[in-house]
Amino acid sequence: MNQEQQLKLQAFLDGELPEREAREILSWTQRDSAAAALVAELRNTRQAMAKAEPHLSLPESREFFWSKIEREIQRREPATASAPDVSIYAALRRWLLPAVAVGALVIAGMIARFNVPNATVETVADADTPTVETTLANSDATTYRDASEGTTLVWFSAAADASPVPNKKPTAIN
Amino acid sequence: MNIQFLSTTRLACAALLFLLLAGVSAQAADKTLKLEAQLILCSNDAPTNGRPVAPEIEKKLKHLPLKWQHYSVVSAQTITVAKDESKPLVLGKSEMTLKNLGGERVEVTLVGHGKITQSLRKSQMLVTNSNDDACLIVVRQLD
Repeated sequence: MNQEQQLKLQAFLDGELPEREAREILSWTQRDSAAAALVAELRNTRQAMAKAEPHLSLPESREFFWSKIEREIQRREPATASAPDVSIYAALRRWLLPAVAVGALVIAGMIARFNVPNATVETVADADTPTVETTLANSDATTYRDASEGTTLVWFSAAADASPVPNKKPTAIN
Repeated sequence: MNIQFLSTTRLACAALLFLLLAGVSAQAADKTLKLEAQLILCSNDAPTNGRPVAPEIEKKLKHLPLKWQHYSVVSAQTITVAKDESKPLVLGKSEMTLKNLGGERVEVTLVGHGKITQSLRKSQMLVTNSNDDACLIVVRQLD
C-alpha cells in the first residue's frame, strides 16, 4: 500500500470523499485485510485522542481573564525599571577607574616635571633652530636651514673673508 | 552606565599612554649619542679618487646653496658621546669638540671659528666649513 492509498483511507475515515469514491474504498477495505486494519487503527486513534483531550473552562469570561494578565504586566514593569541590579564590582569600577586615571596623570606630570631635562621641554621647532656663537670678534656666521631635508648649514667667515661658499645667495637664512 | 564606563576606560588608557610617552621621552633625553663627523672634499669635477659620500648625504648637500657639484669623503670618525659629555675630534686641519646636551641636542665647537648648538635627530644633519681648502664638515647621528 502506497502513501496515496493511505491518504485515501484517511480521507474516507474523515468523510471527505465523494460518495462514489467512498463506495469504492469501502469495497476495497472489505476485500483487502491490510486496508481494513489501517482503517481500524486510524479510527481507534481518533477515538482515543478525542477522549484524552482535556476540556478546560475558565471560571470567568475571556475578556476579564486577559484584563487581569494585562494589569499584572503593567504593575511589574515600573518596579523592574526603578530598581536596577547594580553589583558591588560595578559600583567599585565606577569610582576606581577615574581614580586610577587621575593617579596616572599625576605620576606622569611628576615624571615630566622632575626627570625630563629642561632642554627637552622646548618645542621641536625651537630645538631645530640652531644657536651659533663666533669665537673671533671680527668673524661672522651665516646659517641656512633646509627644513625639508633636516639640514643646517653654518658657515663661519672672517670679516675680510671672501666667502668660498655660495655662488648663489642662500634663499632662506635664519 | 556603559557610556560612563567607556569614557573612564578611555581616560585611563590615555593617561597610561601619556605615562609611557613621558617615560620614553625621558629615556630619549638621557641616551648616549653615536655621532659621525665626516670631512668632505667638494669640487665641480667628478672625483677621481676618494670615497663618494653616502647618497642620503649627497642629496642633502645638493639641496644647500653651495657652489659645488661633487662631494667625496676624505676622512670620517665615529664617536659615542654620553649625555653631558664632550669629546674632541680632529678632521684634517680642523679641531672640534662634540658635546651631547641631552634630548638629541649637540654642541659643536669648531676651534678658531665658533660654537653651534643644534638638535641632531637621526634624520638631521649639520654642515659647516673646515680649515681645509674646499672641504666641509658634516655631523650626523648614526643608529
